Amino acid sequence: MSLLELKNVSKIYGDLKALDNVSLHVDQGEWVAIMGPSGSGKSTMMNIIGCMDKPTMGEVLLDGVDISKESSKKLTDIRRDKIGLIFQQFHMVNYLTAVENIMVSQYYHSMPDEKEALEALERVGLRERARHLPSQLSGGEQQRVCVARALINHPELILADEPTGNLDEANENIVLDLFAQLHKEGTTLIVVTHDPEVADAAQRTIVLEHGKVAREVINENFGKETKA
Amino acid sequence: MKKQLIPGCVLLALSLVITLGSISFLSPCVHEDGSFGACHWAGRSCMGIGAVLGILAVMALLLRRGRRGVYLSALPACLLGILTPGTLISLCRMSSMRCRAVMQPALIILFAASALAAAAGAVCAKES
Amino acid sequence: MKTFALSVQNLIRKPGRTVALSLLTAFLSLAVFGGTVVVLSLRSGLQSLESRLGADIILVPSEAQSKVSFKDLFLQGTAGAWYMDASVTEKALEVPGVEKAAPQTFLASLKADCCSVKIQVIGIDPQLDFTVQPWISRSLKNGLGDMEIAVGCKVEAGMGEILRIYDRQCKVTACLEPTGTGLDTAVYCNMDTMRKLLEAAEEKGINHKIKSGDEDIISAVYIKVRDGADIGQVNSALTGKLRKVTAVRTRSMITGISDSLAGVSRTVTLLIALVWVLAVVILLLVFLMISRERAGEFAVLRLLGASRQGLGRMVLTESALCGVLGGAAGTALAALCIFPFSALIEQQLSLPYLLPGAGTILALALGTVLLASAVSAAAGFLAARRLSRVDPGSALRGGT
Repeated sequence: MSLLELKNVSKIYGDLKALDNVSLHVDQGEWVAIMGPSGSGKSTMMNIIGCMDKPTMGEVLLDGVDISKESSKKLTDIRRDKIGLIFQQFHMVNYLTAVENIMVSQYYHSMPDEKEALEALERVGLRERARHLPSQLSGGEQQRVCVARALINHPELILADEPTGNLDEANENIVLDLFAQLHKEGTTLIVVTHDPEVADAAQRTIVLEHGKVAREVINENFGKETKA
Repeated sequence: MKKQLIPGCVLLALSLVITLGSISFLSPCVHEDGSFGACHWAGRSCMGIGAVLGILAVMALLLRRGRRGVYLSALPACLLGILTPGTLISLCRMSSMRCRAVMQPALIILFAASALAAAAGAVCAKES
Repeated sequence: MKTFALSVQNLIRKPGRTVALSLLTAFLSLAVFGGTVVVLSLRSGLQSLESRLGADIILVPSEAQSKVSFKDLFLQGTAGAWYMDASVTEKALEVPGVEKAAPQTFLASLKADCCSVKIQVIGIDPQLDFTVQPWISRSLKNGLGDMEIAVGCKVEAGMGEILRIYDRQCKVTACLEPTGTGLDTAVYCNMDTMRKLLEAAEEKGINHKIKSGDEDIISAVYIKVRDGADIGQVNSALTGKLRKVTAVRTRSMITGISDSLAGVSRTVTLLIALVWVLAVVILLLVFLMISRERAGEFAVLRLLGASRQGLGRMVLTESALCGVLGGAAGTALAALCIFPFSALIEQQLSLPYLLPGAGTILALALGTVLLASAVSAAAGFLAARRLSRVDPGSALRGGT
């Protein structure tokens, strides 16, 4: 069953076509990587899928709802309820501790629950760092907190933008393992990346060039690699 | 560690202002005929209490143990300082006089501030 | 973790910024509260002086002459002693247009008990007096008896206490309400007591201006002019009739004081306005700088599902809290400077100075804190508007 479907989506800034008549679909529970050089339209696509921007033309169906026509307030609601976001620069609220950063996400979604937030931290292996401020955490730890924050409200879609871009190899592996676990649990993952190794961890890779889908690659070794 | 020294430094500074102030810019009335009124002795008394507070502050800064006790012992001294001008030792009858207009309010405020600093010191001081 | 809790966390975990913002609003409220209390005190001081004075013309011996010494007597309680014959009162009453004439006798005490200054003793005639008597009767129903005194609020003496004036024991039977003028430092008695005190002074050989044996001496006569009569004409008539006596119009004295008061008020108001303009400009700049610094944080919160209004509320809460903190601190600091040192301020200003009542002060303090938080919240609101316009996606990622 399709969770996300883009139908002839274009985004035009003046003379520049950031996305040019793109169509694609992502099934429920699928792990998709989006690759492409700088300026290929990855970020624009992420903004549109993440309800941060609207396309100039075309339809974007998320869980059957056309988000290209929704108001900005409604988009905020959809993003809050259905999407978990992870960024390259982590973007934690710098005056809140690790657990409070997760609870903020709970607050805007429904109700803060410290026990559940601590469990989420436990899951990413940072239970003992719960009361630390972002400045007291390493980059890898911050990104793991952000993963915990993204999954705390059980979103249907996790949208990650270069999630391992600022991490060393050890932390990259930890994050990818977390993604694999989430995938196993049925969460849909869309990961925007430059890194072929990160893309290889996904089921399917969509390559963008000049705002168009250049090709799609199915990862034949998917099941085996993630197990390894 | 450094944060713990702040109340001691504040107390020391306040005690210096009290001690030196009572005989200079906060001094009581000067009698034309050179005699001393009660307010003069109230000022001298406050100077003495200020000096005691200063010694306690230095002790609190230098001692490694018993710091909390030193701060706590400064509290009754501050209370004594607050009560001295006007309550324990009378001042001039006219509230427009220097001892009432300047010395008394200033010393009461300074002793009250010292009490706050000492209380803060007692709270901050962790017995080693 | 509610919006309020988020705001509080932000303030606690960014102590430098919180202190800086609060200091600004503290500065604002210090100026507003302090300045307003001083101006109000000066106004009520002048009103009090006008009502206490109650007379249109004051007659004094020519030797007392200058209005300046009179002003000193009323404003700073400077002790004065000058005398004329008591018959001046009767003569004045004969002048057409004079409704009432009340004599007063002044005596500067020696050092009163422990004090190094002289206290002004003022003898009044309860039958004739219309200036001090109404004020005294508020504290003393049965009037002043023999060797009894009423003390101004600035003379620290309790009811029933004995004050020694020229070695005569005087019992304090009333403590008067404050007037904010030099009258507060004086001691009042009836004419009989005054006569005894004058004798005592003479025994000590102190008051050399008293002619031996002359019992009926007074220092001033307070004249109330009949309604409809021209004060100027009465003044001239009095000067013409009475020798070696100067007639001083109280209006001119009060106008002089009122002019200096207007000057002080203007300066204070100007200073308050200056502080406000500066502080508001700085607050706005600071909030705009902060809004730039916090764009990322707000984008994150927006992406987590915060609405624009929600973020606006958060910034408003933060800035209002800073305003309340700073406002309370500034008001408290101003109160700490103004109330304990009011006697000193009064001396330095040399103008009638009467602190407003507790209710007015409380309302003023509350108003100042509210004003400070409102100004801070308004500056925060501008920053919030700017922040809520930030596009969360591009703020976090930048570019395509």
